Amino acid sequence: MPEIIIDGRAVTVADGVTVAAALMSEGIRSWRTTRIAGNPRGVFCGMGVCFDCLVTLNGEPNVRACITPVEPGDVIDSQQGTGHDGGVS
Amino acid sequence: MSGDPLDATERDVVVVGAGAAGMSAAYAAARAGCTVTIIDANPVAGGQYHRRRIDAATYRPRGCDDEAVWRRIHIESATTVYAVEIIDHGTQRIFGVRTRGDDRHRRDVDLVRARRLIIATGAYDRPLPVPGWDLPGVMTGGGAQALIKGSGVLPGNRVVVAGTGPFLLAVAQAILEAGGSVAAVVEANDPVALRRHRSALTNVGKAGELARFITSLTRHRVPYLRRHRVTRVHGDTTVTGVTLARVDASWHATPGTDRFIEADTLTLGYGFTAQTDLPAQLGCTLQVSADEGLAVTVDDDQATSVTGVYAAGESTGVGGVDLAGIEGLLAGAAVARSLDHPSPLRDEPALRRSRDRMRAFADALATAFPLRSGWRDDLEDDTVVCRCEEVPAGRIRNAITELGAHDARTVKLLTRAGMGWCQGRVCSLAVDRLCPRSATLDGQARAATRPVAIPVPLGAVADINLQSRRES
Ligand SMILES: Cc1cc2nc3c(=O)[nH]c(=O)nc-3n(C[C@H](O)[C@H](O)[C@H](O)COP(=O)(O)OP(=O)(O)OC[C@H]3O[C@@H](n4cnc5c(N)ncnc54)[C@H](O)[C@@H]3O)c2cc1C
Ligand code: FES
Repeated sequence: MPEIIIDGRAVTVADGVTVAAALMSEGIRSWRTTRIAGNPRGVFCGMGVCFDCLVTLNGEPNVRACITPVEPGDVIDSQQGTGHDGGVS
Repeated sequence: MSGDPLDATERDVVVVGAGAAGMSAAYAAARAGCTVTIIDANPVAGGQYHRRRIDAATYRPRGCDDEAVWRRIHIESATTVYAVEIIDHGTQRIFGVRTRGDDRHRRDVDLVRARRLIIATGAYDRPLPVPGWDLPGVMTGGGAQALIKGSGVLPGNRVVVAGTGPFLLAVAQAILEAGGSVAAVVEANDPVALRRHRSALTNVGKAGELARFITSLTRHRVPYLRRHRVTRVHGDTTVTGVTLARVDASWHATPGTDRFIEADTLTLGYGFTAQTDLPAQLGCTLQVSADEGLAVTVDDDQATSVTGVYAAGESTGVGGVDLAGIEGLLAGAAVARSLDHPSPLRDEPALRRSRDRMRAFADALATAFPLRSGWRDDLEDDTVVCRCEEVPAGRIRNAITELGAHDARTVKLLTRAGMGWCQGRVCSLAVDRLCPRSATLDGQARAATRPVAIPVPLGAVADINLQSRRES
């Protein structure tokens, strides 16, 4: 079972899950705020189509959490706006 | 990798999509003797219906079980085709298939050469906006199913499943089977119309499946509310409940029938949208299918209007997993024949007949669950319609009434609705239906024409453009 870091917290998640599923199984439903209104977003389409689930993965912003499988050691950070302003909530 | 299509590896056939259609097509073509590569965006083959965990057993379509054939097929998973170019050399036609890695590897662009192309890109959910639908906890039915099938995670603790079509029952069933709780299934249409199709249902083997879904709802005491719609989603930072209302045949809510249901999750889905990005890009003829959405037009051999390009499965119109598989086999066989290989199929005429019967049934089903307009009443001025660019309904209405926009394209230019990350995949139906001139083939086709199927880092594309120019 891979150990990962979610917003600075070390957790162990199930094998073979996506980043979105890992976040949701930790009770997290939202990991991004929108660029304009700053509204919270999480999974919407669940299959890579809508880009609502964008997250910062290992320092790289705007990764689709719903279609990216977790790898051991992943560092997942929630992101704000364009994801390029830095800042973990 | 090289940016030059003439240097790239050449395959007889590239299949885009590893769902039931693409995997069946690849198998048929390879069995006949073609060299085949399948390219699929998901981490593992299976597509939507046969989505599975990455550590699960490998997906094999029904009847495609000769492992020696599979060993000859190259499957490129976690890879998206973002563009295809056509290069004609005299009478020879070659496709330059441009790919990009997954989001961990999005700078990994590559190129595969193919003599034939089979589009089997499937479909995605068709949601409609409702106040509060941008709250975390609202997702598409397919999204909920994908969490369960792909990761074994429930979408929430208490789910309302809403929209229209038999797929609502499949979503509810998936949640119940995974141990979740469904507060209600909310169906905007009245599927009584389905009874008229009972013999057709039995014919295509779907009656048993539907009966199982209904039995399971009854056993779990889940209300199946027909002629109802979710008219509002409640919550501050996440869903806390929804308001339902009875609706008439046009989906307008009946005053005084509002009712609040507590729930932490809402799934939405009013059918599916066929994934037509690549065929639209290639100039394949598209059509409006029975469900009012776009689909690629194909002939009896699953060939599109562009020579060398074939299509199978949901990209040619939504029709279910079994139909997708048969269309795939037929496409693979046709491609093999066009490359002078004998057909690998034992009884092609029978397969064609099944395909035509199932397609006719799918069209009948689509008419039993039509798309109506009453949902537009719910939208408040501040209800987000375009989720990416955060364009509210008020601004879209203003573009129509004050600025004179008639169609979705003009609304898009005036408001940015459909210009964000998803390139209008989520909102284009709603924006189109809010316009005075809507549901036209032309307007929908224009909205579905996207220069690239997925964003590609600028550096990578710039490099490729230079290369293409050099060839031409
Ligand atoms: C969410 C959802 C749930 C469904 N559930 C059911 C159900 O319960 N029962 C039923 O009968 N039918 C269901 N359907 C209909 C279903 O689509 C078909 O039954 C079946 O999955 C269709 O197979 P397909 O091969 O045509 O497409 P899909 O199974 O959708 O496969 C298409 C594949 O192509 C890939 N792809 C798309 N574009 C690209 C690209 N540019 N580059 C690379 N890869 C790409 C996708 O990632 C996907 O893996 C569902 C459809 C959806 C969208
Ligand atoms: S939830 Fe839509 S892209 Fe991930």
